[in-house]
Amino acid sequence: MSIRVLPPELEAIRGRLPELVAGLEARAPYAAILATSTSALQVSVNNREQQVSEGPRSQGAVVTAWNGAYLQERAVGSLALDALATATHTLAQELELQPGPAPEPGAPRDEHLAMPAQVDPASRTARDKLDLCRRYHQAVRGLDPHIVNAAISYSEVAEAKVFANRTRLLSQTVYRIRFQVALFVSDGQKVQRDWLSRDGTGGLEIAQASDEELHALAEEAVALLRAGRIEPGFYDLVFDPSVSGVMAHEAFGHGVETDMFVKGRAKAAEYLGKRVGSPLVNLLDDPTVPGAYGSYRFDDEGQIAAPTTILREGVFVQGLTDLFSALKLGIPRTANGRRQGYDRKAYARMSNTFFAPGTTPVDELIGSVERGVYLRKTSSGMEDPKGWGVQVEAHIGEEIVNGRRTGRLFSPVGITGYVPDILASVSAVGNDLALDGGTCGKGWKEWVPVASGGPHLRLKARLG
Amino acid sequence: MRDRLLRALERACGVDDWRLRHVTLSSTQYYLARREPENRRSARSERLELEVYNDHPAAAGGAMSRGSASVTLLPGEEAAADERVGQAVFMASLADNPPFGLPGPAVYPQVLTADRMLEIDPAGVARELAEQLAAAVDREPGVSLASAEFFVDREEVTFENSRGAHGQAAFTSLLVDLVLLARDDEGHETESHVEVRRRALEEVDLPGLVHRQAQFARDGLRAGEPGTGRFPVLITDDALRQVFGTETFSPLALRSGARFKFQGLTPWEIGASVYDGAEPTGDPLTVYANAVLPWGLASAPFDDDGVPATRLLIIEHGVLRHFWAPQRYAEYLKLPPTGAFGNLEVLPGSMAVADMWQGLGPLYHIVAFSSMMPDPVTGNFVGEIRLGYERRGNELRPVKGGSVSGNLFTDLAAARFSRETVMLGDYLGPQAVRFRELTVSGK
Repeated sequence: MSIRVLPPELEAIRGRLPELVAGLEARAPYAAILATSTSALQVSVNNREQQVSEGPRSQGAVVTAWNGAYLQERAVGSLALDALATATHTLAQELELQPGPAPEPGAPRDEHLAMPAQVDPASRTARDKLDLCRRYHQAVRGLDPHIVNAAISYSEVAEAKVFANRTRLLSQTVYRIRFQVALFVSDGQKVQRDWLSRDGTGGLEIAQASDEELHALAEEAVALLRAGRIEPGFYDLVFDPSVSGVMAHEAFGHGVETDMFVKGRAKAAEYLGKRVGSPLVNLLDDPTVPGAYGSYRFDDEGQIAAPTTILREGVFVQGLTDLFSALKLGIPRTANGRRQGYDRKAYARMSNTFFAPGTTPVDELIGSVERGVYLRKTSSGMEDPKGWGVQVEAHIGEEIVNGRRTGRLFSPVGITGYVPDILASVSAVGNDLALDGGTCGKGWKEWVPVASGGPHLRLKARLG
Repeated sequence: MRDRLLRALERACGVDDWRLRHVTLSSTQYYLARREPENRRSARSERLELEVYNDHPAAAGGAMSRGSASVTLLPGEEAAADERVGQAVFMASLADNPPFGLPGPAVYPQVLTADRMLEIDPAGVARELAEQLAAAVDREPGVSLASAEFFVDREEVTFENSRGAHGQAAFTSLLVDLVLLARDDEGHETESHVEVRRRALEEVDLPGLVHRQAQFARDGLRAGEPGTGRFPVLITDDALRQVFGTETFSPLALRSGARFKFQGLTPWEIGASVYDGAEPTGDPLTVYANAVLPWGLASAPFDDDGVPATRLLIIEHGVLRHFWAPQRYAEYLKLPPTGAFGNLEVLPGSMAVADMWQGLGPLYHIVAFSSMMPDPVTGNFVGEIRLGYERRGNELRPVKGGSVSGNLFTDLAAARFSRETVMLGDYLGPQAVRFRELTVSGK
């Protein structure tokens, strides 16, 4: 089924936005309005507490005008038509018009675009979602005597948007779901943690884990109490899809956000059409991946979602744009103009970024490593678009000897290196594919939901 | 909107306590790509944040329990006040937690959180800073501006609860996000990126910041890789704040919090060492949770519940003295409520910064990590060196790449703190911290 309904506060103004745009375009060469309504529910259960509460909620709109040289905007925390009319009028008065090219508004479209869900979150009560968390809590809290706390959390964000410019009137509704089981274990002296996450766009069908997965989680959490720190050095490595994904996102994804090109901040700008990695490497950004956490139907600047191939067989072929950078650089737009909220500007941002799968079975890929480390579960990462350095932190590293996992664990493990060296070292690409959701910042702010992933990869890098 | 909501609270069944925060926010934002404007914008918003408390028998066992739930009311939703309160009561009635109360009326301290200079003409401040920035960059050889962002924000909060507590506070903040590029004769380029957020205009020394970041950018051009092994590591500047954590994510704050204690996630005990078994051999660690620090980013006269702000001794000479405790967890653990943690204040040591590398073999001095988030549960950390220096006597070699790893709690046992202090928004403490030995992974 699809979730088709636009919230009433947006339905009420949807048809009126084009006239506001038209009024602003009486002065501006290009104008647009993005109206948003976001609501959320957060449920959590742990050994000592329970919580059911509304999450961060907002309603507002941003009026945008191109003045010939740059964008001027007014954002208001209201969806009342008079507030939008006032913002539009004020912005028109403030415009500092200059000669220059104007953005193209795109081919005409007027439609509501919905994301599919099997179990519509709105069809279940908060009590149902609390009961779901309680069931999982009951299932895991006694799995091992070392468990000192088990924390189950469920969150849903209902995100509805309407975009209007001269030719387009688009609306979409998206549910983003996150479900996590976290275990805290202790041997009496130290405390460790491990977690299992599910996320995506869709419905309640996302919030589930099998008994086998829960038992494996408890075993691994307890095993982490014995984990040591890795000896620094270069290793033969196997990345799981989570680590592959964060490497894709941090290593190359941020560096091809083309607002960085405009600012002279991206080394990738010198490499368009050139080889930057192994011929086995294909990298995509695709906001249309069904069910992925970073998916949407159009971006915050009215560009219809479509996949972008960033690396094809190791060659950099296309970057990700927002409206401003596409116009400044004279390159085609991609659907990557995204905002943290109506109150923040749009930047070129990733959506679902991942390495494309290859042909090597995962067992064969691990089996081919004589001595190395299998890295699983990413806890953080950071980009360096100018220096092409990369940092990814894996929660778990497991020793591989003669093609077998030995059970000897390391935690946490830092992976660092020079992006082209890491991408060039990829020697096998698994035939699997998985994506993990997360929240991505631009530098240290401007958070947007994204997903990253890929197949298992075999490569070399420095650990510390 | 507030009056409608208060009437709805009076009418509703199942509201055993409530707290209400009325928040208005205005933001003036100015963005430069190179030296040209990229975007100029303003944003305004307003919201009422309501927390409702409901007492009921627990689903399991029937003991009296308390649940709480929050809802937000936005402009134009006045007519939905009854419905929103009803939703909050329903959600609160589902959660079975041990009972707890709310603070009553109190006298709140005066705390410096709003700067008139930022309130009067935020757009003018942004423009003036942009001009200052251009002039400062012009004075730096071999360096150009890649981008800059200026956010001048003002927030006003009015707080009240069902026990009669009432307070009002205003907050300003100035955010400067700055990226400089350095270029050598062969066309190689590096960048230095910094984000600074402060409550007051006078807290931001933009020319000084540009000078420092320009030097970092130029040094980045000739930086090589660090070595591999166990080395003394000196942490200063932004790297220091990354290691100690920010206002929302400080391992020292989380470990010393009553909530973490209540949930069994911290092994710390009052009167016991905080070094996780390591022998103290460095400068004694003394930490205050300071919610009244002038211009502190995490300063406020009262916390979300209405507990008055204070400066609380948390760790003294490496020994935990108090858990900081919001009202709820104070009652659970039978501690005095202390309110929110606030800013991290670390007392300085006795060494001058300039003496901290004297007499040591190779020492790595890190000024910026790419990312650094010590795990609050384990204390383990690993971070890529965005920029640092290898110091051998009087020799100084810039380094980048590779990583530094360790454990915050055990490695603090052997750390030395500088006598000079620095204020980094939500951190007041030594300007430099030297760890005796951390693992460096390089060439």
